Amino acid sequence: MTPRPPRLSSALAPRRARGAAAWAWVAVVLLGAAWGAPRARAGSPRPAFEVIVNATNPQTSAPRAFLVDAFLKKVTRWADGELIRPVDLKSGADARRAFSAQVLDRPVTAVRSYWQERIFSGRDVPPPELDTDAAVVQFVAKYPGAVGYVSSRVDLSDAKDGVKVLRVE
Amino acid sequence: MGVQGTAGRTLARCVSAVALSLALGAPRVASAQLFDSSDPDAVQIHGFVSQGFLKSTDNNYLANSKAGSFSFTEAGLNVSKSLTDNLRLGVQIYAYDLGPLGNYRPRFDWYNLDYRFRDWLGVRVGHTKIPFGLYNETSDIDASRVPVLLPQSVYPVDHRDYLLAVTGGELYGDVRLHVAGSLEYRAYGGTLQFDPPSSDVPGVTLSDISEPYIYGGRLMWTTPLPGLRIGGSYQALGIHWKYNLDPAVSQALQAVGLLPADFVSPLPVSFDVRLWVASAEYRHAGLRISAEYSQWIAKFRSDAPALLPPHVTNERYYVMASYQVTRWLTPCVYYAVYYPNVDERKGRQSHQNDAALSLRFDINAHWLVKLEGHWMDGTASLDPTLNGGTGLNALAKDWGVVLIKTTAYF
Repeated sequence: MTPRPPRLSSALAPRRARGAAAWAWVAVVLLGAAWGAPRARAGSPRPAFEVIVNATNPQTSAPRAFLVDAFLKKVTRWADGELIRPVDLKSGADARRAFSAQVLDRPVTAVRSYWQERIFSGRDVPPPELDTDAAVVQFVAKYPGAVGYVSSRVDLSDAKDGVKVLRVE
Repeated sequence: MGVQGTAGRTLARCVSAVALSLALGAPRVASAQLFDSSDPDAVQIHGFVSQGFLKSTDNNYLANSKAGSFSFTEAGLNVSKSLTDNLRLGVQIYAYDLGPLGNYRPRFDWYNLDYRFRDWLGVRVGHTKIPFGLYNETSDIDASRVPVLLPQSVYPVDHRDYLLAVTGGELYGDVRLHVAGSLEYRAYGGTLQFDPPSSDVPGVTLSDISEPYIYGGRLMWTTPLPGLRIGGSYQALGIHWKYNLDPAVSQALQAVGLLPADFVSPLPVSFDVRLWVASAEYRHAGLRISAEYSQWIAKFRSDAPALLPPHVTNERYYVMASYQVTRWLTPCVYYAVYYPNVDERKGRQSHQNDAALSLRFDINAHWLVKLEGHWMDGTASLDPTLNGGTGLNALAKDWGVVLIKTTAYF
């Protein structure tokens, strides 16, 4: 086997062309950032959700860190031993985006990536994703250990709904 | 390709059909047929399919990439069911093709029975993914990360068979440390399911290959500083076999001093590897920064130390950062370094520096596209057999790779 001299350039990508390509990549990223950042900020409204639990749940408040662990299924039981059943709204919902940013401290896509990791490595499955606030209210009313969130526009004053608001500390 | 390869292609087509129907806007129909989304205890079915393309300059990398290669396909399908509040059963079938690897052969990626006694104590038995570093468990799940290729210094795709899953058992749990954050632990042990090593050297065969053993664990501390977690992983694996050498081969090796003068075939060999990695990751909103440093220490025990070096330590590390700019765009950069032998760092074959820039485009909740470029210095991670048998010291030192990949998942 005869050693070949190192080829420092090729017809496909000589060093100068590769340098230009690198700068082109950087330019694409910076342009994307400049265009996208204001849109991202514009899409993060202040509290647009209420956290709700089943009306039989003895807790009236919970630390934000507890909710993070509950929605990521790192804790699985309430203080009274009841199984925690988190439920999400669909990805595109404003309340989902607000809850994700303000409680989970990460964008919805990052949460989805977290669940992709858990699903496909065999460690867990994500909470159900429901389409509407009404479906979330119905779910939370059905399961004693359920916890979810709905748009703050939803009227939760009617006790017959079987849910109550959980204050986030 | 054979029957198994055909089955793998069929798996890829089935997953593709469902994933693409979701990706292209038919979520109501497809998901309703699979499971009731409002029932937390229903059977869950998930899958993904990926197709990539890679093109390199100067050297072939992972596939015949100089000419451009579509030999970069993955498909997985899993089913899981909560049997009780604490007990869950699941299985995933996976097939892939990457250059000479995989060949669409379907295999069980994982299957396990998972019982969680408490948040701080659970047990999985079966075939489970190995927790090594931050991303090993998810290294074949394209949708869970930004880059197409994770830093190959720490997560080499061609080591998948013996780094990804263990057949045996695992203890795991999350321990609350109150103001000090929380500690996640994983400890596992068992054996490996992988194709036994073979010899392509004329006059040399392998026999008496033992069942390999593997054990290890990972500790990951979620610190009180929001978004910061640090940890360490350790893994040990071992395997034993015998080299059967033809008399002509034995004599030739004895003549050059690589075998003892009184050598009589076969040559028993024990191969033990100890791997460890230190990990740190910081997340804040859309920002994610991670860094890992790892050493893999290989030991050969044989009566021919001149032929099989008794001790080799390699060094691997990287730093990576990504930031979600918009809902659909996430750029990522990383710099990864690999030294196959810490005692020999000179020469292009003794190192691999990899600077990568990646863009992830999330088209919708079930479909993504990635574009990635690598600027490589060194040849240590290259495979001579993909490069016409040319030695690593004779391959181009400076080279590059561009990858495009799309994944649909549900």
